[in-house]
Amino acid sequence: MKSVLSVLLLLSVAAPAMAQSTVNERHPLASGGRVELDNLAGEIRVRGTTGNEVTLTGTLGEGQRLEVESSANRVQLRVVYPQRSGHSEGARLELRVPRGALLQAQSVSGQVDIAEVDLSRLQAQTVSGSLVAAGRAQESQLSTVSGSLQARLVTQRLRANTVSGRLSIGEGAGGDLGLESVSGGLSLKAGTLSRLRAQTVSGSQDIAVGALAPGGSIGLETVSGSVSLQLPRDVSAQLRVETFSGDIQSDAGQVQRPEYGPGRSLDARLGGGNGDVTVDSHSGSVRVRRGG
Amino acid sequence: MTTEHPSDHALAQRLQQLPAQRTPPAAVWEAIAAGIGTSQPADAPSSTVPTPLPVRQRPRWRTPVAWAMAASVAVLAVAMWPRPAQPPGPAPTASVLVRQADAMAGEYRQAIAALPAGQVPAEIRPALHELDTSAAAIRVALGRQPDATFLLDQLRRTYAKRLELTRMAAREATAATAT
Repeated sequence: MKSVLSVLLLLSVAAPAMAQSTVNERHPLASGGRVELDNLAGEIRVRGTTGNEVTLTGTLGEGQRLEVESSANRVQLRVVYPQRSGHSEGARLELRVPRGALLQAQSVSGQVDIAEVDLSRLQAQTVSGSLVAAGRAQESQLSTVSGSLQARLVTQRLRANTVSGRLSIGEGAGGDLGLESVSGGLSLKAGTLSRLRAQTVSGSQDIAVGALAPGGSIGLETVSGSVSLQLPRDVSAQLRVETFSGDIQSDAGQVQRPEYGPGRSLDARLGGGNGDVTVDSHSGSVRVRRGG
Repeated sequence: MTTEHPSDHALAQRLQQLPAQRTPPAAVWEAIAAGIGTSQPADAPSSTVPTPLPVRQRPRWRTPVAWAMAASVAVLAVAMWPRPAQPPGPAPTASVLVRQADAMAGEYRQAIAALPAGQVPAEIRPALHELDTSAAAIRVALGRQPDATFLLDQLRRTYAKRLELTRMAAREATAATAT
């Protein structure tokens, strides 16, 4: 009886492992080629490699299969899930991409974790899973719906958007940035900006700017989220803030209120007034600081 | 998800062609004064703008329960879609921007109604609700601040996201039934 129980126990432990299958793909890619990976659940992990080969390793869950289309300039990898996959684990994959490649990674509920890459273009999106991107990319486009989005990318052009996920962009991002959220909070610690446009509906904005390039522009918009903007002490820009019912606090300039009717505004020249910084808020409070 | 559909492009073009002029200041203050008279003082806290509901705990993707609970995309879209703007208080005349918002809502409502019916994945449903709540909040804000062009842009962005997610939901539903 004891031995029968042992066998049953062993089988129950081994069953999930037996349902999995391993992945080990290798494909050459021409310089600047495109790599696409689509895995709706589980995990996508991407790392850079110095060679000219795309590799994909990891495990597929029960009933899942990998579709591969490969040419010299393009490698497409897609995990196909069975129709009823509610109880099966998502595929867990690690992709290695050569330097200078274009990467497109997509998931739905899976986590996407990208690091140590050096790409010409990065496109990554997930719906409810979290998205983390680090490394270098000349241009980047990142998107989630409810999952958190965190980027520590050295990039000169970034577009990041979410509906309700928290959006956090760390140092390294500079140049031309476009950030959008609906209710998710947005935080940015930027390097030198030539252009920033950040929009939220109810999500807060917490933005620190390292430097504003000559003639650069910053435009922040929110409906009811609060805005905290920290500018460098030596910034040269015309600062304009307008709210309908939100409070305004600023190190520079005087907040104006009309004699009749609602609204607050602030118009101040910072330094030489070379660039433009505008903040529009309906009911969210706005705070502008310099230095610190 | 970020790929623009040809019909999106056509719709975006039509929306961009809508006039972007501002209401003259006198009319602005009349409308604001009318709104204030029945809504809130200027110093009222921002909580009077409806806050979108928090995101619910995420269920697993494509679980049987999720599928069982999922509603039809078309039914949900049409049922939850905000009706033409109802600004607080008796505005004497709708501002240009409010009329544009009405036109935009109508365009997107038609675009969504044209999508094939299907089930909305549980992963996306909270976001659709969030977007509908946000669109309603923006329209209330636009009713109070009818010269705020940035609010119209926020509304356009919210509707565009709503359309994009609804399309994605329809595509997922179609793929699920095809496999």
